Formats: sequence, C-alpha cells, structure tokens
Amino acid sequence: MDATNQKRTRGIDLSKMRKSFALKPLIVGMSGVMLSACADNRTEANIYTSVEDCIDDYPSAADLCRSAYQDALTEAARTGPRFSTEYDCEYEFGPNQCRQLDTGGVFIPFMAGYMVSNLLSPKRYYTQPMYTSYSRHSPFRSRWIMADGYVFDGDIRKRKYKVREDIYKPKPTVNRTMKRGGFGSSVRAKSSWGSSSRKGSWGG
Amino acid sequence: MLRVPHPPRAHWKKLAQEYGFHFHTMYGEPYWDESAYYQFSLKQVEQDIEDPTAELHQMCLAAVDFVLDNESVLRHFAIPATAWDAVRDSWQHRDPSLYSRLDFVYDGKSPAKLLENNADTPTSLYESGFWQWLWLEQEVDAGNIPKAADQFNSLQEKLVARFKEIAYINQIDQLHFACCKDTKEDRGTVQYLQDCAREAGIENHFVYIEDIGIADTDVFTDLADRPIVDCFKLYPWEFMLREEFAEPLLEQTLGWIEPIWKAILSNKALLPVLWKLFPDHPNLLPAYFEDELSSGLSGKWIKKPLLSREGANISLIDLPTGHTQMLSEGPYGEEGFIYQQFAPVPQFGDNHTLIGSWLVDDQPAGMSIREDKQTVTQDMSRFLPHIILD
Repeated sequence: MDATNQKRTRGIDLSKMRKSFALKPLIVGMSGVMLSACADNRTEANIYTSVEDCIDDYPSAADLCRSAYQDALTEAARTGPRFSTEYDCEYEFGPNQCRQLDTGGVFIPFMAGYMVSNLLSPKRYYTQPMYTSYSRHSPFRSRWIMADGYVFDGDIRKRKYKVREDIYKPKPTVNRTMKRGGFGSSVRAKSSWGSSSRKGSWGG
Repeated sequence: MLRVPHPPRAHWKKLAQEYGFHFHTMYGEPYWDESAYYQFSLKQVEQDIEDPTAELHQMCLAAVDFVLDNESVLRHFAIPATAWDAVRDSWQHRDPSLYSRLDFVYDGKSPAKLLENNADTPTSLYESGFWQWLWLEQEVDAGNIPKAADQFNSLQEKLVARFKEIAYINQIDQLHFACCKDTKEDRGTVQYLQDCAREAGIENHFVYIEDIGIADTDVFTDLADRPIVDCFKLYPWEFMLREEFAEPLLEQTLGWIEPIWKAILSNKALLPVLWKLFPDHPNLLPAYFEDELSSGLSGKWIKKPLLSREGANISLIDLPTGHTQMLSEGPYGEEGFIYQQFAPVPQFGDNHTLIGSWLVDDQPAGMSIREDKQTVTQDMSRFLPHIILD
C-alpha cells in the first residue's frame, strides 16, 4: 500500500485510547481532581521521584516536600490501582514493582514519584502519587500515569507540566447556580414512550 | 461490494473493555459484529461514496442559504420562530461545524441515494473512527487480512485537525462536552470526541445535559459551577429549543458545536428542498412536503417525521391508493412529515445493509456499515467493519 494514498488514519497512539489497565484492577483510583484543579488555575506542576528531588527545587521548604511526599503515599495506599494477584499487577507495572497492602489481599504498584503544585501556596499544595511501568506488556512503560490510568505526554524524563498562559477569551463570572434541569425534558417525555427498558441513544 | 464472513478476533471483548468500548452489546443483542466484513473496491469508495458525499454536502449548504432566504420554506422546518434570528446569525457568522453523517442506499452498482443527513447529533462515531480502524490494523498484523487492504476512514485524524481549527476560529482552549444520562452509547461517543479534543490540545469538561444549570449572571454552568461558554452537545437542537432553558439559550452567543444552523441541515424538511433545488440529481430520491403531494404521484413512498431519531415513526405508503403500512413505531411526528420515494437498502442474505458516510466539516472522512434484519435501520442494528481491496 502506498502510504501517501492511504484512505485511513495513518497512526493512532493506542496508549492514549486505552481507558483501563490491560488486566482490570479491582478498583481504579480517582485522581482527576488534582488534574483539573491544576489546569484551571494554570499552575505549574512538578513530578519528583524522591523527597530530595523536591528539596533541590525548594531548599527552604524541605518540610513541605516531606509532607507532600507523605500525603502522596497515603493517597497511593487509598487510591492506587488494586490487583487481585501479584502477577496481574506485575504484568502491568513490571517485575518487583508491586506490593501487597497491609490490610491484606490486594496488590498495588509502588509509587514511582509524586506530582506537586502550589507547594508554597498559603492555601494548600496539591500532591498526587505517580506511577510508571517497567513491563514490556504495558503501554504505560516509561510514561507517567496517575492512579486512574491517565497517561501524561512525553516519557518519564519529562518532569514539568505547565499550562500555558490564559490568552483566550475571558470567561463570564458565576457567583452561584440558581437552577438546574432546564434541558432534558424532551428526553424524559420521549423515554416514556414504549418499553422503558430500552433507553437508547438520542443521537442518530 | 461483498459481504465476507470472517472469524472474530479471539479476545476482542477483553480489548473492548480495556479501550472503554462499553456498548458493543446492547439490550442483550450484539451491536459490534465482526463475524463478517464488507469489501469495496477503491473505485466504489471514491466515485460512488466519497465524491457524492462532498457534492451532497455542498448542495445541502446551498439549501440552507435558500431556506433562510425564504420564510415560507423555513416555516416547513418546524423551528420555533423565536429561534429564527439565532439560526440566521449563526449561519451568517459561519459558526464552525464539526461533523455529519449522510446515510445512503448503495448496492455497489447503482448511484448511492441519500436517505438523510444526520448533521446535528450523529452517533456510531467511535466504532467508525477508532474501533473498526483497530480491527483492520490488528487483522492485517495477524495476517488474517491482506496487507494491501485499506479502509475509508480518516475520521480520527480529521476530527483532531478540525478541533484545532475550531479552537483557532472560536479562540478557545477549553470546551465542555454534554450528552444525556443513561445512555452508554452517547456517553461513549462524547468520550471519543473528548479524546480527540484533548489530542488537539483542548482542555475538556464533561457535564450531563440534565445537570446544566443557569447562574445568577444568566450564564450556563456545569456541576462544578464553571461557566459553560463553548460546548459540544450530543443533544438535538429541536429539543433544546423547546425546553425551559430555550430563552436564556437564545439570549447569549455561545460557541455551540454543532452550531444552531445545523438545525436546518439535520431536519428532514431539507430533503424536499434538495429535490426542488436539484431535481433528478443522481444521488437524490424524489421528496415532497405533505402539502405538495400531487395526485400524479404513484408507487411506494416513505413517510418520515421532520424531526426523529434512529428511524422512528416511519411508514410505507402506496400512492395513489394511500394504503399505509407502519414500518417502525416511535414518539415522533407531531411537527409534521415529509414523503420520500421508497428505495430499499440492498440485502446480503437476511441482512439489510445501510451505508453511513462521514464528513468532518466539509471533508468526506470515512464510512460505516450497519446491518439490520428489518427494512428500516434502527438502534438495534449491528455495526460491521469494512475494507477496501481491489
């Protein structure tokens, strides 16, 4: 096939299309909170692979680096992807990359780093456990991922994720939402037609 | 055009799970069906599907111009008069559109005939743009399909490119995405578009249609109280314009995708307008408004509601006797009907086969095949992959 005349999409980054782990973890963590918060505030986030790594960036905030690391560890135990067997976990994350939870049973990958933003903010810093894979079976190999399987651009050498300055059209102000549910009534009306077990698409 | 039986990949359901394709089976029936594929020649795809798709789209755009210049015609579209100005403004601004799907009757030999234009809320996008693409890649890699095989499917590439253009045109770096609750299929379609938008560098937020709120400042909001300024909605304009929030909706200029002028393009009233503007065009079927039906008409005609989804409320009428056979039921039709000459889709064995031809903006971008055991393709039909091989 002559690639220049090809009538189909040339290439798709399959790792970005994946929505879950190859071997389904028992529980998938939630980490979207931090990501969206980060993007909304247009802050810079750094990934550190050790406390020392963080202190190098913030020599005067060593305590904050340590507590952000501890918080990430706690979060990892809480939200890390859980696998029923060590084999399943290692299949995704690589040999010797997993541990059994103290509470018993399930296996989770070791935290490979932690992502921090707003470390010096008077409000509060954000911190999240980060994972990577050493498994040749995994599309996450040498990439940074979050507990929910979100894959970051670039390989694990990339440590800074910065959101560009907001040069776009200004957003209107919202103080509070007065009312919800003003859209969707047609669907409720049409759904009552026919068998209620058949809730289909409203597309075409 | 051939239907070729083909063994399914052993682990495709597991793969579907990993990729988040959760609606491959619906109502306990298979929807994604890889027990066969359709094979086309390159000439069939390019001359019979791709070129007519580009041409029909241009004809449809010309029809929008005509409709908006002629209030007596616009009246036939059952769009609330309060929204006419918004439709005209959006059309004059050339608010950017993302995608459409034309449905064709095509048997591999005769010219493809346009059944309808799904220009506002087309679904089956993920299975077209990504899932059948992955099927072909894997089956070629596994040596089960010849290396020379191709597919008419540049959807994903074009969607990402189009999102970049829309971001530039509308000056945005973020976009909301919305669809209704309780439908995995719609949520899957929207998730796919979110993935494409992310690939284009656009930050995306999801909100269910039913959860959209209105703020004290008359701005729409999502559940986190973020203002909704630009939004892709997999929800038909004809519904939005008849609901409680229609008033604030029309009071503000928001970047909706699809834009409101698509309410003309996706309306079945477009079909008689096309026939009037381009009579005897090889890719059109004769079509008339109810009040235009002349006594001279004979043969079999399909009566379709102006506004409807997934082949609902279709009847087959014999003229001049007027004998009517209901082909599908549904909750639509209160806004009126149009009549289109009956053109049965071809049969391959027991299967009635319908071609969907995709456009991203005005570029033909791919093809999808749906099969049904019934004559009218509805939401219970199955989706089959296709290849191009000469």
